[in-house]
Amino acid sequence: MAAVEGPMPGFSFENCIRNRHLEKIGHKAPTAYKTGTTIAGIIYKDGVVLGADTRATEDTVVADKNCSKIHYLADNMYCCGAGTAADTEMTTQMISSQLELHKLNTGRKPRVATANRLLKQMLFRYQGHISAALVLGGVDVTGPHLYSIHPHGSTDKLPYVTMGSGSLAAMATFEDRFKPNMEKDEAMKLVRDAIAAGIFNDLGSGSNVDICVITKDKVEYLRPFDEANIKGKREGNYGYKRGSTAVVSTEVKKIPFEVVATQVVSGTEAMDTA
Amino acid sequence: MSIMSYNGAAIMAMKGKECVAIAADRRFGIQAQTINTQFDKIFEMGPKLYVGLPGLATDVQTVAQRLKFRLNLYELKENRNIKPKTFLSMVSNLLYSRRFGPYFVEPVIAGLDPKTSEPFIASLDLIGCPMITEDFVVSGTCSEQMYGMCETLYKPDQEPDDLFETISQCLLNAVDRDAVSGWGGVVYIIEKDKVTKRILKGRMD
Amino acid sequence: MASIMTSNYQPAVSAVSTGTLSQPDWLTSELSTGTTIAAVEFDGGVIIGADSRTTSGAYIANRVTDKLTKVTDYIYCCRSGSAADTQAVADIVNYHLNFYKMEMGEEPLVKTAASVFRTLCYNNRDSLSAGILVAGWDKRNGGQVYTIPLGGMWTRMPVAIGGSGSTYLYGYADANYKPGMTKDECLKFIANAISLAINRDGSSGGVIRLACITKDGVERHVLTGDQLPKFYEDS
Repeated sequence: MAAVEGPMPGFSFENCIRNRHLEKIGHKAPTAYKTGTTIAGIIYKDGVVLGADTRATEDTVVADKNCSKIHYLADNMYCCGAGTAADTEMTTQMISSQLELHKLNTGRKPRVATANRLLKQMLFRYQGHISAALVLGGVDVTGPHLYSIHPHGSTDKLPYVTMGSGSLAAMATFEDRFKPNMEKDEAMKLVRDAIAAGIFNDLGSGSNVDICVITKDKVEYLRPFDEANIKGKREGNYGYKRGSTAVVSTEVKKIPFEVVATQVVSGTEAMDTA
Repeated sequence: MSIMSYNGAAIMAMKGKECVAIAADRRFGIQAQTINTQFDKIFEMGPKLYVGLPGLATDVQTVAQRLKFRLNLYELKENRNIKPKTFLSMVSNLLYSRRFGPYFVEPVIAGLDPKTSEPFIASLDLIGCPMITEDFVVSGTCSEQMYGMCETLYKPDQEPDDLFETISQCLLNAVDRDAVSGWGGVVYIIEKDKVTKRILKGRMD
Repeated sequence: MASIMTSNYQPAVSAVSTGTLSQPDWLTSELSTGTTIAAVEFDGGVIIGADSRTTSGAYIANRVTDKLTKVTDYIYCCRSGSAADTQAVADIVNYHLNFYKMEMGEEPLVKTAASVFRTLCYNNRDSLSAGILVAGWDKRNGGQVYTIPLGGMWTRMPVAIGGSGSTYLYGYADANYKPGMTKDECLKFIANAISLAINRDGSSGGVIRLACITKDGVERHVLTGDQLPKFYEDS
């Protein structure tokens, strides 16, 4: 019976015809959250450093001042996302779930190449309609790996990559200062500076720097790693006094306590101790 | 004109000390023509969980009903109240499944954890990108005005009564600069043991 | 109100936002290997070569791309066109030929590989933008080069060029290719061709990647910027 069926898997296109009609009669469809972003990653001596800014925009409005763009894929793998925020979020969640199942099926730690293949095949299948531009980094049995994945499903394997609207600023920093086999502190500083270059020179990027350092047996997720912009302290008080707002009616609904367990103790009868 | 401002709406949610608030305007109109000024845009999804749905009114009601349906199935299966964060995933999945033909709603969620009473607020865009914040979320036709009001008036850890004044003033002053939302407001203050619903007096023009 | 907005606020925003907040071109434009690729047969094997530039609009998304993609131990392909499409096709062919090799217990023929490429490119000709050169060695026919241009046509050629940079090379290839060139002559021929194309074609550049495929397997070379063959205008 249709009434008790759960949701169908996969995308639903039931609203498409209606929405196209609405657009035709002059009602523009709104824009989704975009992460006009700066994301970047480098390989250093012992592993991978990933970095991201934390601004999400909806057209010209800053929708989120501290959003998280470094997504979890597996214990040894993380993925930075740029593009339509919902697409990067859902794509990484779906691949993360597939990797977990793959891990349980094989009993092995998933490889970065596997994640890369899953992501590129999924994005290619949707022919660029899923706008996710990703920086995938991780460490597996074969060592550290770093990939950039474009919305149409092409991938590049490189020692340093950047993505998003701030990628040009970040890449300029890398092209200037990247060298192979850097120390951890030096690598983190370079990624921070690359993201900061995006934050300050690209309008679509802003707020803080998040960093994720992945090594063979440890992940350090530093959020925020650096607060590039700190909101000033407010000296005055703009609060309203209680009773300022005119209220027409008030309705209070008590929430009943949840009964966890019931025990009936009868106090009159003496306990039988015979 | 964007389809999001066809009917007009303004909704926001705020975190306080052991409480959350969610507020909405009460207008339902068709473009410039006001039809109803007692229109519900905030829906109860549990004793301590509410969702506000600004956007195209037909989708507001469809999404509210679909969510309630999925929520009922969840509660029958699990035999417990849903956590706000789980509910957020539910909304996100519903909206993202329509990624290529979306519902025109941008939901706001406010609630307390059913066990720990931890405050929780979040919002989503029309294709289900979740956004969890520690202060406030806004959504609707006058979101820029609401952002401005909230950025100045919001303070962390307010008592329920103070939170009510803050969210009410943020809403009322924001909608006064929007032609398609307003006509009074409604505020829910959600606390551990009670939910207080207040109807606000506002400009009726 | 509206006039205040348009006179002050709007111009400032539209001027600033054209580059950044409007739809950025890395989201809309597909990555393409606006490329120069070339391959030539010689007695006992093939030489293949490519530049290393991947572009997204005017931005160089990758300056050290490897467009010489392995399909089997003895067969490579040179990719031009959409990066996503050619990578996907190469991955699929790689899968098919691995499977073939395991079932048949021997290396697939270059012709077989080219046929699989052709089938994919032809059947999906309306949605793919891929120009591929398939080159390799097998024990039946020795070194072979097959070219598969945009519509999915398929033909064997002793020398083949492809990609956006190839338009500058037809005259060079016709004038300088001689049947029966040695391996070293072929390497020089291909390196010169790629270098000439890099100089003229804006969407080709970076380093020159070369590979020689014979019965002994693959031997790869990279010519970095300072090692590129020079011609009169560079001096």
